[in-house]
Amino acid sequence: MKVLLSWIREFVDVPGTAAQIGARLSERGLALESLEALDGGDAVLDFEVTANRPDNLSIAGIAREMATAYGLPLAMPGPAAPGRLRTPALPAVTSAGPVTGEGLAVRIDAPDLCGRYVGAVAEVAIGPSPDWLARRLAACGVRPISNIVDVTNYVLLELGHPMHAFDHARLAGQAIVVRRAAPGETLTTLDGKARTLTPDMLVIADAERPSAVGGVMGGADSEVTASTTRIVLEAAWFKPQSIRATARQLGLRTEASYRFERGADLTAALRAMARAAALIEQIGAGRVTGAALDCYPAPQRPLTLPLAAARVNGLLGMDVPDDEVVRILTSLGFEVRAEADPPRRWAVTVPAWRVDVQRPVDLIEEVGRHHGFEHLPATFPAASEAPGPSDPRIARDTRVRRALLAMGFSEAITFAFVDAAAAAPFHGSDAPVTLANPLSEKFTTMRPSLLPGLIDAVGHNRRRGRRDVRLFEIGTTFSPRGETRAAGAVWTGLATPDHWSGGRREVDFFDLKGAVEQIGAVLGVEVGLATSDRPCLVPGRAAEIRAGERTVGLLGQLDPALADARGLPAADAVYVAEIDLGAMTAAAPVGVRFVQPLPRHPHVVRDISVLVDDSLSAATVRGTIQAAAPPTLVGVTEFDRYQGTGIPDGKVSLSLRLTFQAPDRTLTDDEVHSGMQAIIAALVERLGALQR
Amino acid sequence: MFDEELAATTTADGLKALRTRWIGRKASWVSAFMDLVAAAPPDRKRTLGREANELKKAVEAALAEREAAVAAQRRPAGAVDLTLPGRRPTLGSRHPLSLVREQVAETFSRLGYQVLEGPEIEDDYHNFEALNMPPEHPARDMQDTLYLTSPIAPPPAADGGPARAPQPLTLLRTHTSAMQIRHMERHAPPVRLVAMGPVYRRDDLDLTHTPMFHQCEGLVVGRGITLADLKGTLLSMAVALFGPGQDVRFRPSFFPYTEPSAEVDIRCIRCQGAGCAICKRTGWLEILGSGMVHPAVFEYVGYDPDEVTGFAFGLGLERVAMLKWNIDDIRLFYENDLRFLEQFGL
Repeated sequence: MKVLLSWIREFVDVPGTAAQIGARLSERGLALESLEALDGGDAVLDFEVTANRPDNLSIAGIAREMATAYGLPLAMPGPAAPGRLRTPALPAVTSAGPVTGEGLAVRIDAPDLCGRYVGAVAEVAIGPSPDWLARRLAACGVRPISNIVDVTNYVLLELGHPMHAFDHARLAGQAIVVRRAAPGETLTTLDGKARTLTPDMLVIADAERPSAVGGVMGGADSEVTASTTRIVLEAAWFKPQSIRATARQLGLRTEASYRFERGADLTAALRAMARAAALIEQIGAGRVTGAALDCYPAPQRPLTLPLAAARVNGLLGMDVPDDEVVRILTSLGFEVRAEADPPRRWAVTVPAWRVDVQRPVDLIEEVGRHHGFEHLPATFPAASEAPGPSDPRIARDTRVRRALLAMGFSEAITFAFVDAAAAAPFHGSDAPVTLANPLSEKFTTMRPSLLPGLIDAVGHNRRRGRRDVRLFEIGTTFSPRGETRAAGAVWTGLATPDHWSGGRREVDFFDLKGAVEQIGAVLGVEVGLATSDRPCLVPGRAAEIRAGERTVGLLGQLDPALADARGLPAADAVYVAEIDLGAMTAAAPVGVRFVQPLPRHPHVVRDISVLVDDSLSAATVRGTIQAAAPPTLVGVTEFDRYQGTGIPDGKVSLSLRLTFQAPDRTLTDDEVHSGMQAIIAALVERLGALQR
Repeated sequence: MFDEELAATTTADGLKALRTRWIGRKASWVSAFMDLVAAAPPDRKRTLGREANELKKAVEAALAEREAAVAAQRRPAGAVDLTLPGRRPTLGSRHPLSLVREQVAETFSRLGYQVLEGPEIEDDYHNFEALNMPPEHPARDMQDTLYLTSPIAPPPAADGGPARAPQPLTLLRTHTSAMQIRHMERHAPPVRLVAMGPVYRRDDLDLTHTPMFHQCEGLVVGRGITLADLKGTLLSMAVALFGPGQDVRFRPSFFPYTEPSAEVDIRCIRCQGAGCAICKRTGWLEILGSGMVHPAVFEYVGYDPDEVTGFAFGLGLERVAMLKWNIDDIRLFYENDLRFLEQFGL
């Protein structure tokens, strides 16, 4: 809300510079957003008015805050007010039912949406506003249009109460009927757009058709023009929820709807009308003829709340003196009556413009902020018991994060929404989870996997000349079944960096497989791989990650076509992996894990080299060995795999290191030897292996 | 005799055997000599003793010299170029938001808070209504919401919650405050928690806005919790995050779910309060919103506002990281440029 300092000073003679005033008000809850100095020492202060304080969307409201902040008296428009604020009383006819006067009949057919409607007829001569008025509007961000429209806007800015003016000649039947729109009814609004209305919208109609969308925008047909000589002025009160819904449906947000949807002052309509009438006369634009016609179906009863000093000080944690409590509330327009017994209690009557104050705690806030948060001591909450446990996912994710960092992956955080094309290869048979109102085409789909985001992050780095990229993310993925916490990793470029001693090597499948196995180890889960036909991966280098019978992730080389589609060079091999951390946790053993006693007897190592068909999987060879071996075989490691010179086509030379150990004795050579014989026999018989 | 044997010995093991045979504590030449000394008549003892010691010293010195020579022979010859680069194992780098999240969690863990996470897809009830923002509440404008095209079926109601049917999940949470409700529904007071994670708003990408960002929510409920407790807690958090001597301002504001409400500003890190573009010439930067839990929120979760009071706060982690490390573009957090990430190290 932009306010002109000189305008404010008609209401309260606040001392100091604009910057000082802005700083003081910021400490009292009206944050200064910006400050613009004008010629002649005047200034425009732009305050951020919170959504609960529609009364502060006005010069008068902000002046009231200043009066309280500085302990100064406040002048308001009225018959006895000085200077421009002087506002004679306006005769009015108030009724719960329809009201008819000279040249106008007012009726409310929808009292649930319109709590009050004041109409008044005025004879006018349309022209420009005087300079002082036009300049004030402009300073507060409102474009001057013509004297009558400017007066309605002036009252809106000054008192916070929206008004409207109709061309009397355009109102059929000299009538104002406040009613719901009929189905399919249309209205061209002041912005020139034809609007189709629905029955949950409130219209201000004449005897035949709508003239305005109530509280939102007037109609073009009844607009005040240069040739207008007679007008109907409107000061009304509309139900906030209805205004908000209508404004949203029509995609219209006006100064009027902004105030009505936050809550206008039901008692202010007649004051606003009197103020407009006084201004019209003051600037020589005409005069209101006859009485204001005030349709007021259910007059509001003021709210009175109990307040106890003990509650004030107990909630704030500071002692505010009783006279300060009374001063603050009284200055803000509350009526404060001290209760005789028990002491230090008050009955506080809430002014009608304070729509936000509904409970005693709201009064405590007023006292606290105007006494000043700077006077609050800095204390700590007392704890009466030990805190509950933290979310176990946090510790788990921390361990996975540490493991990945130690393995050289840097931590990424990507947006949880991706474009539909990026998501498509990853959501499998699930329907994608999409947004109804995405920010753009790039953010339409909730990620079914962390990989699209990570792949784009690789692309970002690749385009900036970074060829070797190792990234991971721990985050949430989405499916129609809900949320999953996952860890994703991507690796492209070198597996071991360039070094003068050599050892440079490009990343391959087994680098990322090893990383996945280590994450399994960190979580206490033995993971295995099974062939996968996921379309995002290169066939033959695509795997599902398994924990027991359960699929807990995927691993493989990204399909070059996909890499290409995301702006990565198709020639670069990109390896990707993703693990469902929830599923991994479910597969992990529960309960206490005790330390294994260290073996007390030495182990024996034997190496073996065999020639087998290269179609045999490592798992088959290892399984055959394990099945044939005595229970003293505790480890099998493939340490060489060779094809090439000296090896027949279709064969592969495998070298394995076998470790034997017994917990209760030192193994003898004979024992180990017979174990090896059994293993070799099994390899020869079952796999057709040739010992080398 | 010893000299000959010593000359013939070239290995460390051989020297060890020689040492045992000549000057070992038992059954060596020197120990036999010592036995003779002990048995000798008193007038001879002194001379013999001196001779025995001299012999022992001479053997010891000769052995030590030879042992050093043999050890030197076993060391590799030549020198490496100390200035060649080492073989550095690759270490990953932390994301700054992850560092800030951890720092905040640690700070509050030390103060006895439990650290929680919650769902990112929420229902209207937890994100808005139970936070005192019924449908058509104007404060909903403060947080432009992203909605799902089709609602997701809610998970089954947790044990111990109120008998309120779970609602379909329709939106991305606009704040971590939704976790306040979820926790209080299932746990009686007292409460002392922080909840962290991503939140979503329909904000265009620019220097200071992203449609996804991260928050840390704090909630303390119990008997006699005051606004002064909130102030003390937040000031000490600001010191933990930005260091001592950081000027902090606690000023009134508005949130529908707190009453009174307050915001915390810190003195502009860039201009130290002189006024610059970052702080819009006000000298202050807002880092969080907070307040005393609104009695209506307590009523929604079945707490008695006459029995307990509480405070809540919500901190933007991007904001903290930007101030802490002088980062002027929020989008850097989501580009994952390694040149950026590597500045944060492990």
